[in-house]
Order: sequence, then C-alpha cells, then structure tokens
Amino acid sequence: MAQSARIEPDISFIRELQAAGGDTVKKCYQCATCSVACPISPADNPYPRKEMIWAQWGLKDKLLADPDIWLCYNCGGCSDLCPRGARPADLMAAMRNMAYKKLVEPTAIGTWMSDIKYLPILIAIPAVLFLFLWWFMASINFHGYFPHGGMFPMPKPGVGIEFARVFYGDYVIDPLFMVVVGFVLFSFYKGITRLIANIGPQGSVMVLGKRKHWLQCLVETIALEILPHSRFAECGDAEEKRIRKTGHMALVFGFIALAIVTGTIAFGHWFGRIPFLSGIYIETPLPLGHPIKILANIGMILLLVGLSYLTLRRKGLDAAKQASSYYDWYLLGVIWAVAVTGMGSQLFRLAGLTAPAFITYYIHLVAVFMLFAYLPWSKLGHLVYRTAAITYVRYMGRK
Amino acid sequence: MATKIGVYFDQSAIGGGLDVEELISGVEKKWSALCPVVKSFPIMAKEAARAEITADIEENELDGVLLCGSSPRFDWDLYRFTGVQVERVSLREGCVLAYKNPDGTPHTEDEAPELLTEMAVDYINMGVVKLQKSNRPTPQLVEGSQRILVLGGGWTGLTAAKAATEAGYKVTLVEKDAQLGGKALNLWYTFPITPPHTTPYDPDIAAKVQEITANSEITVLTGSTLKSLSGCPGEYTAVITTPAGEETHEVGSVVLATGWQPQNTALLEPLGYGKSPKVVTTAEFEKMNKLGTPIPSRVAFILNTDLCKPMEGSPCNCPEDAAACTPDKAPAKAEAEEAPAYTDMESPRHLGYSNAVNSVVALKQAGYVTQRHEDGIAYILYDSMVVQGVHERFYKTAQNIPGIMMTKADIREVVVQGETLLVRADNTLIGGNIELEVDMIVLPTGMVPTTAKGPIMQFEYRQGPGFPDLALFDGFADSNYICFPYETRRTGVYAAGCVRQPMTMDSAEEDAYGATLKAIQCIESANHGVAVHPRSGDLSYPIFNFVRCTQCKRCTEECPFGALDDDEKGTPKPNPSRCRRCGTCMGACPERVISFENYNIDQIGSMIREIRVPDDMAAEGPRVLILACENDALPAFDMAAMRGTPWNPYVRIIPVRCLGSVNAIWVADAMSKGIDGVMLMGCKYGDDYQCHFVKGSEICNRRKENIAETLNRLGVEPDRVAQYEVAIDEYDKVPQMVDEFMRMIFEKGPNPFKGY
Repeated sequence: MAQSARIEPDISFIRELQAAGGDTVKKCYQCATCSVACPISPADNPYPRKEMIWAQWGLKDKLLADPDIWLCYNCGGCSDLCPRGARPADLMAAMRNMAYKKLVEPTAIGTWMSDIKYLPILIAIPAVLFLFLWWFMASINFHGYFPHGGMFPMPKPGVGIEFARVFYGDYVIDPLFMVVVGFVLFSFYKGITRLIANIGPQGSVMVLGKRKHWLQCLVETIALEILPHSRFAECGDAEEKRIRKTGHMALVFGFIALAIVTGTIAFGHWFGRIPFLSGIYIETPLPLGHPIKILANIGMILLLVGLSYLTLRRKGLDAAKQASSYYDWYLLGVIWAVAVTGMGSQLFRLAGLTAPAFITYYIHLVAVFMLFAYLPWSKLGHLVYRTAAITYVRYMGRK
Repeated sequence: MATKIGVYFDQSAIGGGLDVEELISGVEKKWSALCPVVKSFPIMAKEAARAEITADIEENELDGVLLCGSSPRFDWDLYRFTGVQVERVSLREGCVLAYKNPDGTPHTEDEAPELLTEMAVDYINMGVVKLQKSNRPTPQLVEGSQRILVLGGGWTGLTAAKAATEAGYKVTLVEKDAQLGGKALNLWYTFPITPPHTTPYDPDIAAKVQEITANSEITVLTGSTLKSLSGCPGEYTAVITTPAGEETHEVGSVVLATGWQPQNTALLEPLGYGKSPKVVTTAEFEKMNKLGTPIPSRVAFILNTDLCKPMEGSPCNCPEDAAACTPDKAPAKAEAEEAPAYTDMESPRHLGYSNAVNSVVALKQAGYVTQRHEDGIAYILYDSMVVQGVHERFYKTAQNIPGIMMTKADIREVVVQGETLLVRADNTLIGGNIELEVDMIVLPTGMVPTTAKGPIMQFEYRQGPGFPDLALFDGFADSNYICFPYETRRTGVYAAGCVRQPMTMDSAEEDAYGATLKAIQCIESANHGVAVHPRSGDLSYPIFNFVRCTQCKRCTEECPFGALDDDEKGTPKPNPSRCRRCGTCMGACPERVISFENYNIDQIGSMIREIRVPDDMAAEGPRVLILACENDALPAFDMAAMRGTPWNPYVRIIPVRCLGSVNAIWVADAMSKGIDGVMLMGCKYGDDYQCHFVKGSEICNRRKENIAETLNRLGVEPDRVAQYEVAIDEYDKVPQMVDEFMRMIFEKGPNPFKGY
C-alpha cells in the first residue's frame, strides 16, 4: 500500500499568498486548462495546475520545494484561457514574490519591498545617505558646515560639470557601492543555497546517462535560453507577447551594455593607476565620442525603449486576466528612475545647468541604490533565482 | 359517423405535378353519396377559403371536413370548424415530398408519376373513410371536488398548499408527523435560494408553517396518514387516519410531497460511521449547528462514497434488516395483510443520487466551520462535485473562503485514533496519496424517497396501492422526469420535491408550484371531461361493448395508468378521468370490445382496406403498411420529407395514437388483403423508454410475438411484420428503415395471400 503523505494546510500562508498577488487562487477548480495551455510546461508533471491546488490548500512546503514556479515565464497564456478567472500566472508570480520576500535575511527588507506603504523607508535610506555625503563633500570642498559657496560647485573651465566634485568616486561612491555589491552577492549566495536546498530532492537521486557539470548547465542556460529569449518566443507570438519579448530583450541588453560600461570604467579607473597599465586609465566624464560613452548611451536608449514597451504592455493588460502587483510596478518604476535620471544628469551636465544636473544626479544615485541594494528582495531577483532554478533542473536532467 | 363530408384541396400545398382536377373527379366518382362538396383552393390558409368552407358547412349541412394539403402538424390552429369533424390528408409531406421513384431516383417530371397519384388517391380515400367511421365524442363530465389533497407538510407540501389556495382551490394537507415543517425543521440554514445565491438562506420554516396554519382554506391534518384513495381524478375519496379517528375527504387531485427519509446509516460504516462519535452525518452536523453545539475546527466532509458499495452478491446491504429494526419506518402494517408486501427499494444507489444535494450541503456546512472558527479548516473530498444550475454561484463563494479546501479523492480508509481521526485518500489532485488529520468527519445523507419504502398513495386500484414499476427509478415517484416533470403513472397524482428526485429547497419550491398547477389542470380537465397530458383536451374516452367481453382482464392489466378497475367477475370498470386515451386497452382486447368515438378498430381496419393492393407485385410493386406512432414516428416522417429524404413509394402510413393501441386484427386485415408487410414504428422502450404512454411500444412488442406466431401458422413469414423504435429526432434514419424493409420484402416476394 502506497505511503500517504500527511497534509497540513497553512491558512495564514494562503492569506499571505493572496496578498502577494495571488488573490484569485481560490477560484481555481482544477480543470487543468492552464497546464495544457502553457507552451513551456513539460508534458510530465506539468505546471501550474498542481501549484494552484497546493496554494489553495496552503501547502507551503510543497510550493517551496517546487522549482516550477521559477520555470514559468509569466506570459499569462494560462490566465487568458482560465475559465474561472483564477489567474494561474499571477499565482506563479505571487509565489516568486513570496520567495523574494522570505528567502533571505534581513527579512525586514523583504517586508519593506512587499508593500507600497514601506516605500518611504526604502527611499529614505539612500536619500539620507547620499544627502549626507553631498553635504559632507560640499562642506569639505567649500570649507564650513554650511558651505558659503552653495551646494553646487561651479563648472571647471574646459571640463564642465564634474559630479565627482561632490559625489567623490574614488573614496565615497565606489567603496559604498562595492559594499552594496558585496552585500547583494552574499545575500544571493544564501538565497541560491536555500533555493537549491528547497527544490532539491530529499535523499539521493540517480541521474541516468552522462551528467553535465553544473557550470556547463549554467552556460547553456544563459547562452541557449536567457540571452536569445527562446522561452519568450515559445510563449507565443501574439502582438502582446512579441512586445514583451522585445521589451525584455532591450532591457537585458541595455543592462548588459551598462554593466560593461561600469566594469570597464571601474577597471580602467582603478587599475589604470598601476604604472605599467597607465594606458587604460579612464577618468570621467568621458567625451561623447569615446567608445565607452557611446556604448553607455546605447545602453541607456535600450533601457528607455525596453521600459516603454514593457510599461505600455503592462498598462494594457486586462486586469481580469493578469493583474500587476506592487513588485511589478516597483521594478519598472525604479528602472525608469535610473534611466531617466541617468539621461537627465548627462543632458543637464552637457547643457551646463549646474543645479538641475546635481539634483538629478543625486536622484540617480538614490535610484541606482534602490535598484541594486534591494535586488535579492525585488522582482529583479528573478535574474539570479530563475537562472539558478533553470540551471538546476537542467543539471538534474530536465530539458 | 360523418355522413356528409366536404373534401377540400389546397393547391398551394400540393404541387409535385399532381393533377388536382383528376383527384377531385376521383373523389366525386367514388364517394358521390358521402361527399357532396369537393373543391380546391389556390391557397387554403386564407381567411376567404375558411369562410367558404364555413359557408359550405352551413349550406350543405356537412358534418365532416377533409382537408387535403399539408401535414396535420402544420397550421392546425387555422382549421378549426365548429360542429364538424375535421380530418387532414398529408399530401405535401406524406406524398409529394415523400415520393421517390421505386428505383430511388427523384421525381423530376412536370406530371406526377402514376405511383404518386395512386398514393395520393389511397391517402384521400383513407381520409374519407377515417371520417366516415368517426363520431364526435360527447365528453363524460366529472363534477367533483375543487379540493386538492397535499400529502406531506414539509417545504414542498407547504408551498404546494399555499400555491393551491392562491389559485382559489381548497386544500387538505396531510402530515404524518405531529407538526408541520418536515425536514426543514432541522435546518440551521439552507443553500442560498434567492439572488445573488451566495450566502446561506434562513428558511424560517416557522413563518411558513404559521402562514399555512392561519389559512382558512387549508385543512391541516397532522399526525395523520392516508389510509386509502379511491375513485378517480375530480372525485377521489381520501380516507385519512388522524389521531382523532378516520376522516373522509372528497378531493379532486393530489400533490404528492411526502419527501424522503435518511438512508440507513449502516451503509456508511466503511467510512467510519459508528466507530467514533466524531463521525457524523450531515443531518447530525446540521443539528449540532442549529443547537449551537461547539464544533471542532478541522472537519472533513466526505462526498466520495465509493467505499459504501454493497458486498458482492447482496443486491443492497441494508434495507430488509433496517426495515425490521426500525418499525416506525417500515411499510404500513395494514397493507402487509391484504396486499402483497411492498418491495423496499432502498439501495446504496440512493447515496449516489443524492450527491448533487450532498455536494451543496457540504459547501454550506464547510461554511459553518469557517464561520464558527476563524482559522477553521473544512476539507471536502469528493468524487464529483455536482452543483446544479445557479448553485454554481454558491460553489464559487465557498471556494473563495481560504479555510475551505477541496479535492477529488478516492477515500482509502478512515482511521479512528482516540480523539483524532485520520482520513487516507488516494489519487488526489494534490498529487498522490494523502493523509489528513481531522477532529470530525461529516458523511453524506442518502435521500430515500418515501415511495421507495411503501405504497404511500394507498390507491384502491385494481393494479395495486402504489405506483407501478418504480423499481426502474429506485423508488422515486417519477415517470419521465426530463419530458414531463410531476407526472406519475396515476392520473391526478402529481409528485413534487424530493419524493421525485433529490433536490434543493429552491427546486422543491418550484416543483411545488409546478405540481400544483398540474393538479389544478387535472381537476379542470375532469370537470370538462377532457384528457390530461399528453392528449390534453381530448374529449374521447374508451367505450366498452360489454356484450362481447369475456372478462379476460387484459385491458385492466395492461392499462399503463391503472385507469380500469374491475368487478369480481373481471368485467372492466372504466374511469374516464383516470384515462389518458392512449388506446392500449383497445389494442389489448382480443374481442374488440373497446373503441373510441373517433378512433376504433373498424375505422383503422377500413382505412387499411382502402389501400389498393395490386395483384401482381412484379408489375405494380408490393404494398406495405406502416402503423406509425403519431407522437414520435410520424413527426420524424414529416421532418424526413421536409428535409428532402423521401422513401419508397410502396408504403402507406397510418398514424396511431400509440403502438399500444395497435390491435392484432389490423395486421391480420392487412395480411389477408394481400399487403406484403407491416412496419410498426413507435417509441423506444425499455429502461430509457420514450413512449408518451410509458408502456405502449413495449406492450406492442410483446403482442407482436403472438402475431408472429399466428402468421407462422398461416404460412406467412413472421418477419413481414416488424417493429421499429424511432425517436422523434431520428428523421435521418426513418427513410432508410423503410427502404431496408422494402428490400427485404422484394427478396421475399409477394405475400402468399395476395389475390385471394
């Protein structure tokens, strides 16, 4: 006789899930249209039908151990076809939101990230920090706690506005963000470890056939699935789906371009000081014709294009089919802030408008902080968790 | 007997190249004495044409009108002429549209082929004879009582009583318990029965009882049962046993609302019932909630009762013993002495039948758990969650409550571990086999109709005190619930509520109104001497020529509606208001004692004799008679013709009220006249019968075997007479049936009696 698994529902978990964007989960009546409709769900043990009933029953353990919530690309096809308006895609997204909220400490950040009412805290942290830095640097530069020369340094002849004169890169901004990056990487390390522990099988599993190294799986995941957006393509080529793919792609490549820019500048700036590497030394601001600067602006344009696509698409969604949660809007909002203030800082700088340039740059720093420092608890966390989950299931032999 | 018949042709409905002038002169020649007026109209469905016919009727003192044109199923409302009998000959659907050449090719010439003309002539002659052999019936009026007997003072009965008085009828309401209210008395809430159908409804049974008790038009007899019901619709005599002695009430018709009783709980033992006080039925759980008894916060509602299947070999696992150990629920003791013991029809199937109600009950009671405990959890384990109609809204509401968890599940076992209970279930939607720990288990209640347990009606009818053949419905008082709700096999008694089918209270209320309207209609029909459903308004009724009656009792035994009683010698005693006018008695009578004024043995026999049967089959083709049920087979033929699927031109169709009314003599008439075959086309019979008169086609099939035997003796192949089951929507199959039968006839060659 088969072993029966003891089932212990957790009602508070259901309520939490409903609050995290899965409010319609109880409407599901298990027809499995969603599992059939999903273009990327595997034929064997497909999702999201089973996730729906687990969520309805508050079966937290089963959901935590389920890699499938990360394999879903949230195209919304299942929600479109759901005869009961149960919106399985939203449930999958809500499950991911729950993971952002709970997977790693400090869970206070998770909580703050889950509700708009905590948004002032999230803004206040970098805002106060950078305001302090601004004031501090201004008072050093202009001598005195209440700088008589004003908060805005005059443009240097020939160079123009230099943000570094207030937000001094070498000893302030760069180290600060390095700490942030370290914190984020550490948090992701914890997150991935827990995720794999959750979704991994209990006991040992024998995988038949030749087994690939997990690094090879990771490379395959990135090269074959993430970069070409192959799953997005599988999600259908309806107008709305194509917009989504294009927008997401623009964002991804925009960020990649900006990452290259940031990396190159940081590398050049720091390693260029080593005497025999002085040829690669880079000092900002770069002239507009500099290849790195060109790449930076291309990245920025890609960001703006991607954001426009995705925002318009999200605005156009039928709320009865696919709702947008706070997680969705937070991420879009912050990236918008990063891109717009980035562009604004550059334009104001080039135009020589000192006060607007510094204020915009200040906001830019706040936005960048909000994007990166809270990354493991934001929707952008999927960048890491989804990659990890896909790599893991690939490693475990699933195609 | 129509003696002066006006024959009218509708040119607009004929066509096909038929020479109407030739048809007219044919009628004038053959029926000169009988038919003083023979005319044709370019369009008959016109006021002017009807005015002319009316004028002819007056001028020539016509007593019959024969309209030759479209099928009688069309424009029937146009051709009502007072004081005369009207008959229609279907030249359009029955001849022109039905015609194809014997080789199967369609008829395309401008002029009608000879065969078509001959067919038309046959049908016209049959129509004339039909009128000639028909009389205008004089109805038998039953003055009777304007009082309706409502049996059962539960939700349905109370509603029915109220509905009847609202329509101006008096009511005798009989309730076996000491107080009115029935099962609703035990309910805390019922399912939502008013829009938006989302929150449980307080039935407030006390108010309803109060309203009925205060109504002076209603005589309420509590603690009472029906001892006997004799007579016929319009003038029933109900003897009621009351605590104060017997009372006799004259009533016109009856609404049967005796409801249901809970199934024997022994059936639920495999699900843990009896093993722990924490395993209860929905009825017990409802009571706990009504009384405010504390309930635990983790409750499993089990709807999948597959474990409750009876053991192999025993038809049902409880009733006999159960009836014996619960004497108050056993069939009435009185009838055990005089009538044969009533078979208890309670079976595990009643649990299944009640699933639709139990599903909604589980949703409602799961709501009690989450309402009374903030973090209460109610599991619903079902095999099929059945929520009918608007209750879907309630299902959706229940689903939305976080604490209500549902899954399809096969229950493997229920384990009692001290205070806690374990439910082990397999094949769940959660995936695999699960185990739930709960504090209480609620099991469904099987609803066993009272008519499964005893002959509630106590008819003093020849055919017995209860409804016949209820085993087919496992005891539910139901004749054909899809087509004709409320109808029973006893005219004048209309079933409503759970005695008919397990149902929710809103359906029961609707039922009560429906059945009450039927009961009123029945009283009115009896008062006017007309038939009730399905031949509503028919004035004719069977007339017995007792001189020739041999008291063989076939008619009294075969009447599907128990209309005929008999005396000690076996002479039938007709009760016209019980009769549905199907003619099954007429078909049964070997002595041809029974007839209707406008439908009788001689009439159909004469019509058959009007078919011209050529002596040489090789030269002029065979002839085959089709006796077609006018309820299903005939419309199917009409539809086939309209849809352009004609059939073999050698057949002649005579409509009959029901195959049950087909008397063997007609077949004998046809065969002796040289007709090569007879097709009997009627409704499906058996468990899923479609016969309007329930038994007609089945009885015909039985009689056909006797006919076959007779034919065999005479040296005629018995398969020249065949019965076909046709549903009204099988118009696509009907022409093939005819053509195939004809192929067989061609293979066999001519009827050996031909030419004699």
